[in-house]
Amino acid sequence: MTIIKGENINKIYLETVVPVRALNGVDLSIEEGEFTAIVGPSGSGKSTLLNIIGGLDSPTEGKITVAGIDISKLKESKLIDFRLHNIGFVFQSYNLIPVLTAKENVEFIMLLQKWPKQKMEERAIQLLDAMGLSDKYHNKPIELSGGQQQRVAVARALASRPKFILADEPTANLDSKSTENLLGLMEKMNHEENATFIFSTHDQRVIEKAHRIITLVDGRIASDELHTAGNHVR
Amino acid sequence: MISKIAWRNVWRSPARSLVVIGAIVLGVWALVFTIGFVNSWVIKFVENSVSQEYSNFQIHEVEFKKDSEMKFFIPEGDKLLVSLQEHQGVIAVTGRMKSNAMISSPKTATGGIIYGIEPSDEAEVTRLDSAIVDGYYFDGIRRNPILIGSKLAKKLKVKVRSKVVVTLQDINGDITAASFQVAGIFEVMNPISNESKIYVRRSDLSRIVNLSEIHEIAGLTNPSGDDEIIIPELKENYSGLQVEGWKDLAPELDLMLGQVKIQVGIILGIIMVALGFGIVNSMLMAVLERFKEIGMLKAVGMKGRRVFYMIVMETIFMALVGGPIGCLLGYITIEILGKYGLDLSRYSKGLAEFGIDVVLYPAVTPETYPLLTIGVVITALVATLYPARKAVKLKTIDALHKI
Repeated sequence: MTIIKGENINKIYLETVVPVRALNGVDLSIEEGEFTAIVGPSGSGKSTLLNIIGGLDSPTEGKITVAGIDISKLKESKLIDFRLHNIGFVFQSYNLIPVLTAKENVEFIMLLQKWPKQKMEERAIQLLDAMGLSDKYHNKPIELSGGQQQRVAVARALASRPKFILADEPTANLDSKSTENLLGLMEKMNHEENATFIFSTHDQRVIEKAHRIITLVDGRIASDELHTAGNHVR
Repeated sequence: MISKIAWRNVWRSPARSLVVIGAIVLGVWALVFTIGFVNSWVIKFVENSVSQEYSNFQIHEVEFKKDSEMKFFIPEGDKLLVSLQEHQGVIAVTGRMKSNAMISSPKTATGGIIYGIEPSDEAEVTRLDSAIVDGYYFDGIRRNPILIGSKLAKKLKVKVRSKVVVTLQDINGDITAASFQVAGIFEVMNPISNESKIYVRRSDLSRIVNLSEIHEIAGLTNPSGDDEIIIPELKENYSGLQVEGWKDLAPELDLMLGQVKIQVGIILGIIMVALGFGIVNSMLMAVLERFKEIGMLKAVGMKGRRVFYMIVMETIFMALVGGPIGCLLGYITIEILGKYGLDLSRYSKGLAEFGIDVVLYPAVTPETYPLLTIGVVITALVATLYPARKAVKLKTIDALHKI
């Protein structure tokens, strides 16, 4: 089932001295349960594309449909609601709420969605356990390592079972071991919960794990490859 | 959860929060102290002026105020006194003879006002007995005792037991004089009274001027009653006489009271505005510091309304911590100063010239404390609107730069 469909997406930044075309007629479609990496050199438009897919920015031209809704036409308050109920975010610098514990951070989105307390707690504990953080429920982000914080962030993104999860360079600040660990967990969630993951990344280790690799160059899709058992399938 | 985040946010930067809470504490304390100080100073001054000088009401014959001659006495004044004593709204009343007079000592002479009073009635109304600073309240002198003000005594160069001669017009307009012996020297808050008034027994003055009537009735109303009701009632009941409340007798006091209330209001306003700006500054800092975090909250689905509540709640929490502490400190200060007094004797000479006590006893009514706390919370609420709005208006993408 197609959950994201972008048609002729163009994005031009007019605020700069010289207008910058970040995306140039991008067409893409993402199916439910995909584990997709968007790759490309700096300035290729990866983050812009992710921002548009995530409803954080709007295209200058074109249409982006997420779960059947044209989000490019939604107003800010509707977009916030849309993001809350449909998208999970994992940020490069973790971006956990510093005053909340790991468990409270995971519960946060469910709380905004008004989940029943018990159900919310069960889900948070289930995810933290799955992330190998059983002994860190009550630790605040400052008391966790970078890898642990990013695992909490993934648990938070997965908590309310969103349609898909957008992860912007999720391993950029992690060491090899933490990266390996995190990717393993995300793959596991992809299999067990059929969670759709879309990454932007430079990290070769992430690219190797991805099932589909979309390469952007100068705001255009240069290649779109399926990647199974170490082989690229065009 | 929003309130939990807000409460914890207050303490994530303890130094900044403590500065804001400290400012609130100091502001509330300053408000309590200012109100207590003004209460003790100005309101006490007005109260003292009313109780010692004017009383809550005075009654005269209509012509007496224009021309204070002996002949303008209150017809059947003693009967009127009795009926006033029986009035439920009146707690004390006294009748006085009153006239201009010349007071002479062996050294010098000066003009003044002589009152012929019933000592016990007068003591009930003006507490004149407690104003004696030397000698006794009509005691110790058998024949023609007189009380004179401290400044007048100094001017005449007389002391207790000295003799003075009082010259005045009798009921027929003839000049008459009598010798009096100083029984006591009084000092009231009004320096003009200390310089110009003398008190003798009504029976003595009556004998000298051949008049048994009174010229002035002064009374105190029940503190639990309302002057605004009792005085008009007296005016209506005794329409043939001139009945005046203290605001008619001393409009300057009412004006002063009104002006002081306005001034206190302005001071309170300035303190609140200063407090408000402190809160705006601090909360704006808090919002700008958390620019990215607020962007993240909005990105993951926290609506602007909730972000707004979170920022407002942080400020209200600080106000709710600081307000009661400020009230408590203010209460302790007022209790201590109310018990031991605030000694302004270094400035006493200047203050006394204005009829103000040299030791002030600040007092604040109990309802002031919750009202101030509510006022501070409202100030904090208003002050936080701008930073909170700034947080709401934040463009998610700008705050995050990228997801």
